[in-house]
Amino acid sequence: MKPGDIVARAYLAALFLFIFAPIGTSILFSFNADRFPTFPLTGFTTDWYARAFARPEVWQAFRNSVIVALCAASLSTLIGFCTAYTDFRFGFRFKSAYLALALLPPTIPLVIMGLAMLAWLSQLGLSGTLTGIVIAHTVLGAPFAMAICRMRLQQMDPALEAAAWNLGASPWAGMRRVVLPFTSPALISAFCLTAAVSFDEFIVAWFVSGLNKTVPVMILEILQGNVDPQINAIGTVVFLTSMSLVILAQLMILRRRAA
Amino acid sequence: MTEPLVAFRGVEKRYGASVAVKSLDLDIAQGEFVAIMGPSGCGKTTTLRMLAGLESPTAGTITIGGKVMNDVPAHQRDTPLVWQSLALFPFLNVQENVEFGLKMRGKGERERRTLSHLWLDRLGLKGFETRAIDQLSGGQRQRVALARCLVTEPQMLLLDEPLSALDAHLVIRMQGVLTRLQRDLGITFVYVTHSQSEAFAMADRVVIMGHGEIAQIGTAREIFRSPKNRFVAEFVGRNNIFAGDVKAGILATPLGPIPLPEAPDGPAEIVVAADRMVVSRAEPGPPAIPAAFLSEEFGGAGIVLYFEAADGSELKAQVTEGELADLAPEPGDAFWLHWPPEAAHRMKG
Repeated sequence: MKPGDIVARAYLAALFLFIFAPIGTSILFSFNADRFPTFPLTGFTTDWYARAFARPEVWQAFRNSVIVALCAASLSTLIGFCTAYTDFRFGFRFKSAYLALALLPPTIPLVIMGLAMLAWLSQLGLSGTLTGIVIAHTVLGAPFAMAICRMRLQQMDPALEAAAWNLGASPWAGMRRVVLPFTSPALISAFCLTAAVSFDEFIVAWFVSGLNKTVPVMILEILQGNVDPQINAIGTVVFLTSMSLVILAQLMILRRRAA
Repeated sequence: MTEPLVAFRGVEKRYGASVAVKSLDLDIAQGEFVAIMGPSGCGKTTTLRMLAGLESPTAGTITIGGKVMNDVPAHQRDTPLVWQSLALFPFLNVQENVEFGLKMRGKGERERRTLSHLWLDRLGLKGFETRAIDQLSGGQRQRVALARCLVTEPQMLLLDEPLSALDAHLVIRMQGVLTRLQRDLGITFVYVTHSQSEAFAMADRVVIMGHGEIAQIGTAREIFRSPKNRFVAEFVGRNNIFAGDVKAGILATPLGPIPLPEAPDGPAEIVVAADRMVVSRAEPGPPAIPAAFLSEEFGGAGIVLYFEAADGSELKAQVTEGELADLAPEPGDAFWLHWPPEAAHRMKG
């Protein structure tokens, strides 16, 4: 190995260490018997997990988060796909404005988005409900879903759908038999990614969740009381959930590149 | 004459201000192999897509079997198309691709299997049923695309430059496959291409399109020997065109007078095919044009020699290898190009 290679590899290792050290520490301390997060480690325990998940409000928060993530991911993927398909299939005036508008939400600061959502959902009487959080997270997730679906549709031969019509498929059958099967890896990856976005999202959820707390909101509330290794245990579970979703999404993206 | 299978009447297709096809009139008979040929952007693919119902004409009518098809959507037509990109479904295997049309027509699984196997056998794809599309060679994909269209036993097959992605030796083989299929099945083939060799090798009739209009319809021989206008003569190539004014049986061109005894007075254009040109160093009797040798192009059957005439225009003559050896031309050498008077074809306009 050349000296340049060694430096490059060391740099890469340092970079990953830098990124993952905080989360690694949190995982490490979630299994440490000592109450305070200090070295040396005093002993292995799963006690913090047992205690955290013995609390009904933790279960409730996980339940809320899962429901919100599934609903928001489904809606985001649906809206994202429809938006991307409109772009793929039709040419119309102001198309670039349409695309810019569709991709706008992630550029809005989350605090502003949270405030706006709170004001808007209160008007609708949905503030503090799970439906409200689902709406807010769909707004955040749909642009990501659209970007992913659009990337996939750009790889599709425009003749493919027309070929289905030409062989006797109605427009609906063409969608179901050709466009959706072709786009399916992107749909799955968009679903996983938007679910992860929703599962992790704190700021907007904090504004609109009220008493129906999601996991990140609950973590903050526990933290405000006292620092407790239970947080590390809960954090580890959240991290692993999001990570699995993102890795799954990435695998789908890689698989379709290979195909 | 019997009722044509397909009739275009005054068909026009506009996209906003641009006209893709203008006032097209064309009849296609049952069982005919028609090639529509022209340079890119001439409206040939638009014409085919209108026939398949993928575009709708902005004026005129298209009838198939006597029925006006203008408002019949693509999926309710029986006009399968072999796409330039083939457009095979990448997420389905060979057999599922072939069965797609049958499935859309509500055929049961048993019937689908029987028919798809029949056509895969017929096109030499036995044993490839469960292959993925990306595991096939170009020629095999071509045949899957054909099987996918023919399995529903249509009365006509549309082909949009289907051989353009194949290697030269495969093109010749697929031309054989296509002509044999068309003869055996007795169905109508409408074949769009920009390749003369494909069109002239396979089609009963060739339609030459330019700028959204039909420039000429005819057999290969008619189009080669008597092009109707300058566009056709230039498109088929290897033609020499002389334009000028006729006065008292003499065509006055910038290159000199050409006798044209039967022509009426007025502007005229004549075309002389490269293979009817005779090249000599000594001045022959009229009609003859002096020109300087430029270069030669070896093309298998004949060698095309390129010359430059006095006004800078390019002239072509096709000679045999023996003739080339006798002439031994060097670039810049002066020659005379002449032709038997009957080889000159006067174009209509």
